Amino acid sequence: MFGRLATNSDAKLVNMASAFALAEALALGLMSGPACVASCGPVVVPTLLAEHSGLRLHGRYLSTFLATRLCGYLLFAALAWEFGNLATLPTSARSLVFGPIHLLLAGALLRYAYSVGRTCDHSCKSAELVTIGAAGNHRIPGAAALGFLTGVSLCPPFVAAGVRAAEATSMVAAVLFFAAFFLGTSIWFVPFAALGWVRRNEAVITVARMAMVLIALYYFYAGLTILIRKNTYGF
Amino acid sequence: MASKILPAKESRSIGRSFVLTIPIAIWSALMFTAYAHANRSQWIASLITVVFEVVLFFMMVWTRSTYRWRRRFFVALGLLFPVGFIHEVISMRGTMGIPIEEMIAGRTPFCFLPIPLLILPAALTKMLVFPGSILPNGGMSGGGMAAMAGIWLAVTIVVGKGWCSYACFFGGIEEGVASVPPRARVRKIDPRWRYGPWAVFLAMVLLSLALFEPAYCMWLCPFKAVSEYVAARNTVGVVQNGIFIVLFAGLVIALPLLTKKRTQCAFFCPFGAFQSIFNKTSVFDVRIDKSRCTPCVLCQKSCPTMSLTDESIANGKTLMSCMKCGACVDACPRDAAVWHIRGTEVSFKPERARLMFLYAAWAMAIMFGGGIIAEGLATMLHIFV
Repeated sequence: MFGRLATNSDAKLVNMASAFALAEALALGLMSGPACVASCGPVVVPTLLAEHSGLRLHGRYLSTFLATRLCGYLLFAALAWEFGNLATLPTSARSLVFGPIHLLLAGALLRYAYSVGRTCDHSCKSAELVTIGAAGNHRIPGAAALGFLTGVSLCPPFVAAGVRAAEATSMVAAVLFFAAFFLGTSIWFVPFAALGWVRRNEAVITVARMAMVLIALYYFYAGLTILIRKNTYGF
Repeated sequence: MASKILPAKESRSIGRSFVLTIPIAIWSALMFTAYAHANRSQWIASLITVVFEVVLFFMMVWTRSTYRWRRRFFVALGLLFPVGFIHEVISMRGTMGIPIEEMIAGRTPFCFLPIPLLILPAALTKMLVFPGSILPNGGMSGGGMAAMAGIWLAVTIVVGKGWCSYACFFGGIEEGVASVPPRARVRKIDPRWRYGPWAVFLAMVLLSLALFEPAYCMWLCPFKAVSEYVAARNTVGVVQNGIFIVLFAGLVIALPLLTKKRTQCAFFCPFGAFQSIFNKTSVFDVRIDKSRCTPCVLCQKSCPTMSLTDESIANGKTLMSCMKCGACVDACPRDAAVWHIRGTEVSFKPERARLMFLYAAWAMAIMFGGGIIAEGLATMLHIFV
């Protein structure tokens, strides 16, 4: 009897600990949301501005972006748990992961900037599968690619969550921790849908495309410096 | 360019022009009271500067033309700024590079270019992403950021993007370079390049927020090449300085020589894009009187920032990127391009509107640029005489 009571209280304690961990992840996500928005802003804002106006379209873009970002988070959670902690891996190993991610992000942004300017013609159907940011509905793969790549990029709140997830008792707990963290941060992305109200014309779309190119150049540079293991700053 | 196609305008009387110049002469003299106990070269330099400013304003009033006189002041400002600044930096530090110790101490000289990059990070985190101090701390910038940003905001609300043609101590360099060749070699420029400043502005605001650093100053400012650069203590520093030099050589030297336009201001400067917003708050603007316009598009050709298009001329307005330099007004042979005060008829006393704008803009130019010109002159006198 005493043994069963002990097992029940242990289970309760485990449940309580899990609930606390999830609440902690949610709180961490909510608190560090502005940092996440700042970190993903260079990708989200110009790509959204390059879209046509309309709340529905922007809602769809953001949903795709956030869904694939969640996939990136969960993958990172699983890896963080598996390897103990990605953030404390040796620099050489880390640069092999995050350098290419930056380069891919740069490539995806450049592709997006290029394809936004193309009008849909008779060859559009065949290009649909590979096009990242072509006209109308076909831009969703672009949002998916960018969401996933930002999901697995290393940013300060992400590192904090990664360290905590690495301490989880199981991979499932680590993944759940990241899912709750994702939920907390995602709320901060909702206001981006308001960009759908901004009236679009040639000027707005051209500015967004040019900005994407500049930001892509930065990511390209950052990816290269990570790979060749140089400090990002010049002092 | 504008001076060659200047229409013959009836000059104002000398006596009246003299009287109209008195307020500026007083203001100019007041600005140099700080040099009352200065050394001899500074005293002579400030005297020359006061005379220079007053004579140019007198000429603007007397001849009723703006561009060619303003340009002389502006080019002098652009060319003398690096002279005085580099001299001061080297005297204090022994190098043009900013050492990390100066940044940590918040003694980095403040520049107005990163102002738009500071707003979002400051709003979200209550911290500045510029290595300077908000309040005066005795550093090189002396006055601190709050003072400079406050004064800048006050004057820019009044004169709008006029800041870029009267007080910016960088724009004068390319305006001077653009005035060197007799004619443009490259005439056809894709009008979409006009969106460049907005793109740089958007990208830099977002990156400044993401990286928590003034991204434009760190990576893209062409004028780092002639002011102070990142101390190149590793490969990345060398890359940064390489970018500054390439951008300076391309946007401030080569392209203005080829196009006779202010290419850095028109196609790149994020601060210029930010300033364009204040053209909406300014009471002064330049309009095209459609009843007089032919259109001969001389105004369009003379504009150094491509702020006039066929469409905008047909609408009787300049684009919001107009820097109020006066080139189009001086170039128009039929006086169709006019200075204007918002809320009045387009043809309502344009010369009065011009004078009112000039008082505000020239007072600002003297306040921000006069000291810089005097400092540059004093340095040259100190070194060469």
